[in-house]
Amino acid sequence: MSNVIGRRPIRSLLLILLLALLGWIWHERVALWAFPDIISAYTAKEYCSCRYVMNNDAQYCRGYVKQWLPVSGFTDDAVAKRITVSGMGRSHSAVWMGEHQGCRLSP
Amino acid sequence: MFKGLSLLIILLLSATAHAEHWPAEQWSTGAAITGPALQALETYAFPARDDSTRKGIRTDALLVIRDGQLIYERYAGPTTADTPHLTWSISKSLMAAVLGVAYGEGRFKLQDPVAGFYPPLKKHPNLTMADLLHWASGIDWQEDYEYAPLKSSVVAMLYTRGHTDMAAFTADHGSYAAPGEAFRYSSGDSNLLSAALKTIVGPERYADYPWTALFEPLGIDHAVWETDDTGTFVASSYAYLTARDLARVGLLMARDGRWGERQLLPKDWVAFNREPFVHYRADQDDAVPGGHWWLNRQADGAAQPWPDAPADTFAALGHWGQAMYVIPSEHLVIVRYADDRDGTYRHNELLKLARKAFAGQVQP
Repeated sequence: MSNVIGRRPIRSLLLILLLALLGWIWHERVALWAFPDIISAYTAKEYCSCRYVMNNDAQYCRGYVKQWLPVSGFTDDAVAKRITVSGMGRSHSAVWMGEHQGCRLSP
Repeated sequence: MFKGLSLLIILLLSATAHAEHWPAEQWSTGAAITGPALQALETYAFPARDDSTRKGIRTDALLVIRDGQLIYERYAGPTTADTPHLTWSISKSLMAAVLGVAYGEGRFKLQDPVAGFYPPLKKHPNLTMADLLHWASGIDWQEDYEYAPLKSSVVAMLYTRGHTDMAAFTADHGSYAAPGEAFRYSSGDSNLLSAALKTIVGPERYADYPWTALFEPLGIDHAVWETDDTGTFVASSYAYLTARDLARVGLLMARDGRWGERQLLPKDWVAFNREPFVHYRADQDDAVPGGHWWLNRQADGAAQPWPDAPADTFAALGHWGQAMYVIPSEHLVIVRYADDRDGTYRHNELLKLARKAFAGQVQP
């Protein structure tokens, strides 16, 4: 083993780093899989509440929910009060439920 | 004649001095405040606002109640007196007030195990209502928001893995300490309280309970409180009130839970809210945790978190600069809504300037 490392130190180091990375990915697989959902879910939910609970105007609310990650699709169905947002390959909707309940992210 | 008249004037003056003001449908207004101290406060709270960089102090609303009367309010950005503004974590203290009404109905005790009201917690059998109110569940929770999105329990709870059932998501976490032994600020703890309330008051009353128990008795007409898919109120984050309405809760707390003639929250409940958690360690957070409120008290050898405010000051605080400060000794309630996206804003600075502008000017 020490001979192998001695002969190919860089390859061995890269292999160890790769194994560590794979281990970390496995360990964090649940959080990593959920991560791409954050931007579209956050944007849909907080825009819905900004627009239909706080009653701010649409342009203000677009700025209000802006984050460092981009969103690729955005629709605001003003009749149904339903917001659908896509980003990082995932899509989420939030709907205004009523005067007391405000907005909720769809399951 | 002259003697009688002066006696009448004295009587009228003393009646005015002792009359207790309460808001009716609207707040009554006190004498308007002007002058350099107010200017200094406004210069601090309302600098020019840049919606593209979103840097610096970005106050949406600042409102001051003194002796039960509205003496100052100013709005900025898109917010007006009619905006039910997102309170973020001020919701936690509002949930404490809602729970206080149920406590006054005799429906639970502080030392009751939460698992009795919320069975998914049976793997944390010794966790009590008081522990959750102290943010001392011992549940291994990560509260970071946008700076650590991968590890953040709160982001996962609100937007991804936990959003359909936030209390169950919280209960599913492991433990890092025994319940009641250590403080760790947790939005999950607040949502466990919200789930417990469902059993405490019964599922039929629960959906309207914040309104029937707290908002309607205080004359609050336009409160919104969002729920998850199970109908559990997102007690950690999602209550919305106008600044004027939130101040009503502040006045209730300033007057030890009494609203007019009615003791809406038991005095011992408010005393618990305002009692520092004994196992809090210095500098674990920006202020000292009480029972789901934040206190300006010395704790664990550390100085008061806000040295320019009296020691009886307490507050409900939320993300992005939301705050309601209650100063019973000075008869002040201060509501601040904001959209602060960086850490420039300082509670102590606002309190210092607001007290210079508003405190103690009605004393004879």
